[in-house]
Amino acid sequence: MGIVMGQLALVIDLNTCVGCHACAVNCKEWNTQAEFGPLSDFDPYGEKPSGVWYNRIMTYEVGNYPHTQVIHLPKSCLHCQDPPCVPVCPTGATFKREKDGIVLVNYDDCIGCKLCSWNCPYGCREFDEADKVMKKCTLCIDRIYDEALPPEQRQPACVLTCPAKARFFGDIEDPESEAYRLIKERNGFVLFPSADTKPANHYLPKVENKIGIDDHVLKPDNPIFLEVLSRHKGGNP
Amino acid sequence: MHPPISLILFFLTAGLSIGGFTAIFLIDLIKGLDSNVILITKLIATALIGLGAFSASFHLGHKMRAWKAIKRFNTSWLSREAVFSGIFGFLLFISFLIQLFYNTKAYIILDILAVITGWLSAFSTAMIYTSNRFVPDWNTSLNTLYFLVMYGFLGTSLASLILYLNGNVESTRIILIISLSLFIVGLTIRIAYNIRRYIIKLPTLNDALNLPQNREVRILDKGSTTDNYCTTEFYYKKGKSLLPSLLPPAYILTFVIPIMLLITCIAKGPNTGLLTLSLISAIAGSFIERWCFFVEGRHVQNLYYGLL
Repeated sequence: MGIVMGQLALVIDLNTCVGCHACAVNCKEWNTQAEFGPLSDFDPYGEKPSGVWYNRIMTYEVGNYPHTQVIHLPKSCLHCQDPPCVPVCPTGATFKREKDGIVLVNYDDCIGCKLCSWNCPYGCREFDEADKVMKKCTLCIDRIYDEALPPEQRQPACVLTCPAKARFFGDIEDPESEAYRLIKERNGFVLFPSADTKPANHYLPKVENKIGIDDHVLKPDNPIFLEVLSRHKGGNP
Repeated sequence: MHPPISLILFFLTAGLSIGGFTAIFLIDLIKGLDSNVILITKLIATALIGLGAFSASFHLGHKMRAWKAIKRFNTSWLSREAVFSGIFGFLLFISFLIQLFYNTKAYIILDILAVITGWLSAFSTAMIYTSNRFVPDWNTSLNTLYFLVMYGFLGTSLASLILYLNGNVESTRIILIISLSLFIVGLTIRIAYNIRRYIIKLPTLNDALNLPQNREVRILDKGSTTDNYCTTEFYYKKGKSLLPSLLPPAYILTFVIPIMLLITCIAKGPNTGLLTLSLISAIAGSFIERWCFFVEGRHVQNLYYGLL
């Protein structure tokens, strides 16, 4: 595999993600028409649509009522630093780039044996039934190195489209990058650490939502406070 | 896991081919056999491994690129399986031609190499599954052992029938004892494998999401209204419901019936009917048993979908 010089990855802020699926939709839109496309669809307007998506968003509820939190988890290839999908590939179609750590599939060499997907603990590889090859997130490699695009546009489609600005992109090994700083400052974590794959994509943890109330609001002589208290107790203050 | 029928057929044909040829080869070394028996066995074994390779190709998205599977021999068990099974078939076929057309014993060197590469192929096949740490049910040396023993009992079942049909009654008796032992060892390993499934501690959704174990977590939405590749390839809902009713017949056909028939053959002398029935039962049973093996495999990615 060789020495990886850098490691490009996504950092996703679970505190900000609202689970709108815009990242998945824009990923599909870009990648179905760009160099790694198409991402095949079957019965797209029918009763049971199916097809290839690089990015899927799942929603979980954590805790017990009334102390629950909802987590929206966008999940695409994590571009593991020790990717288990790479050594099992019998043709070498799956490989990790030394330059930037992106894990890619060479469609011309892929025989569609699906073994890479069997060896991914995250379920981030999908078989394209039309092209008969495995497909996965490329970190929009055809965007991020496209010098025809203005520099601010050289980011993955999912990052550019996120309306909540929950997605960040950069070299997680470069101390100068925003991705590196966010991981360090906000305790970025990875999925399934016991799988020992060293995922490059990180998530910023969800923190408990709290409503900040200024002290003066709670003073006994605050008329609003008194009114609220009276309603609550059902009598005069 | 969703059972790929093409791969199950490969297991059976490769097992019959590698195990069968090895059994005849060893008996020839010990007792000496008529060259026609060896020729017939080579022909059958070559045809079976060829049929297995043809069957396995249906698992591939691009059959015509299958040759590229030799490229990652240094890291991929699938690549090793492809290389070793290919060499096994090639050596067997060349050995068959040499034995058929030339009056020389030089083919024995090819036969020895064929036996070695055949079992390396069997080991590689087993390791494709055993080395997968994301299917904890498969990730055990019991799995590797079972694959090898299965190839052994399928092969000896075929070899005993070939030997008996060619009038080698004494050699048949030797093979029958080996075969019976392998069936009993196979049964023991399979039971241990099933017991292990209930004992092993699977990772949890908390592990997958990197959450503390004391936080209750459940899936609210899997992100799409219909199934996708991950929910169909790694979770076979229909298979899960059929598993409890198919595992018992798998045990009966693979082990119980052949063991009873082989004991009868050893005690009262072999006959074509019983040996044929034993072989058919072992093949049919192993087909169901390998189907169960896939359905029993619980992939950890199912955690994200709340399916584990």
